[in-house]
Amino acid sequence: MSSNKYFKHEGPWSDANDPLMVSDTGDWRTKRPIVDKDQCIFCGFCAIYCPIQVMEMVEKSHFKPDLDFCKGCGICAKECPKKAISMEPEGDFQK
Amino acid sequence: MAAKKGKLTKVLDHLKHEDPFSKGVAFCPGCGLELLLRFIPQVLGNDIVITGTPSCSAPVLLGQNNQSWHKLSYFGTLMTGAAANATGLARYYKKAGIDNTVVCFNGDGTAADIGFGNLSGAAERNEPFIYICYDNEGYMNTGIQKSGTTPYGATTTTTPKGSISKGKNLRRMNLALKMAMHKIPYAATATLSDLDDLAKKLLKAKEAKERGFVFLHVLAPCTTGWGHAPENTIEVCRRAVKTNYFPLWEAVNGKIKMTKEVKKPKPVKTYTELSKKFVNMTEEDHQILQDDVDYEFCILGGLSQLEGECQLPVSAED
Ligand code: SF4
Ligand code: SF4
Repeated sequence: MSSNKYFKHEGPWSDANDPLMVSDTGDWRTKRPIVDKDQCIFCGFCAIYCPIQVMEMVEKSHFKPDLDFCKGCGICAKECPKKAISMEPEGDFQK
Repeated sequence: MAAKKGKLTKVLDHLKHEDPFSKGVAFCPGCGLELLLRFIPQVLGNDIVITGTPSCSAPVLLGQNNQSWHKLSYFGTLMTGAAANATGLARYYKKAGIDNTVVCFNGDGTAADIGFGNLSGAAERNEPFIYICYDNEGYMNTGIQKSGTTPYGATTTTTPKGSISKGKNLRRMNLALKMAMHKIPYAATATLSDLDDLAKKLLKAKEAKERGFVFLHVLAPCTTGWGHAPENTIEVCRRAVKTNYFPLWEAVNGKIKMTKEVKKPKPVKTYTELSKKFVNMTEEDHQILQDDVDYEFCILGGLSQLEGECQLPVSAED
């Protein structure tokens, strides 16, 4: 907004030229959403209702969560009309 | 065999702008507020200024240490003066000739209780900004205390279940209706199960703020405070609508119109059964809550049928 060359945009505390703060929210997960791409009808309900907005479109064919940030709330699985998403215990994926 | 691909939900068409928030922000898993906060700038655009108060939204909106969680401009205010501060901002932009949208974003504690006086004042003066109340029916950030919008029977830390107290023994206020009666250019209720409706109302809000004050009341369930399973956040909203516990309507200059008709409303129990905060309610309590819901809806129904009948005074039109 400002013509000041030092500010890209004004942040709450700083000039927000720094990268945004990010938490490792993927680490909070107790369950992991697994999308069955064959069941998926590409309706996008999982994407619109995901509170973190981490459901990404894959080649206009299905959706896949960004597991670096997905908190494992399970809303996508619950809202999917085709039950194409299952929530699996996170421990199953730890080696 | 792969399932036949259907049609993408039209809600995605409303998400025209970037999500300005960092991907990993400090909201609980399944938080309704997080979805709402990410949704607003994707619909309205990123050239908005948010102002708000200490609340669950503040730690994320305000940032921490020297860093921020998002790229929007944010102005942190006190709960007692949220709408007054937003007034100043909106007037600044108007005076400076800058096309910007001021969104005053507060919880129900600020909107219905602590900051109601100046909210009402800003509405009466018809200040040109959008006030959004995300209603999680209590003071969640400070430890789940009851507010004016906490419904009858709900357990909070100040209305606990004990030998004498059995949850909130007062009925909730209807904040949105109260705001609509300020005869502002636009007032509406919305919730997260009906995102198409929410997006349309946000766009109407942006347009209506050119004519003055806009109030949006959005039911945003809190998993931690209400005790529903995180995956049920959207389902809780859906049932709130289907039981008429939280009817969806809009009002232009105080004229109310339902935006979603519920053909056969379900008993309010289908809504309360999902959240632990209602678990201590007896049959009798449920009846009181049901009667209250029916009563509010009856008033709303009556008002919405007046739509064509009441003539706005010519002096009030612009
Ligand atoms: S909600 Fe289910 S069917 Fe629809 S896009 Fe997501 S995974 Fe596919
Ligand atoms: S589990 Fe929750 S956070 Fe993860 S992708 Fe699904 S809706 Fe999003």
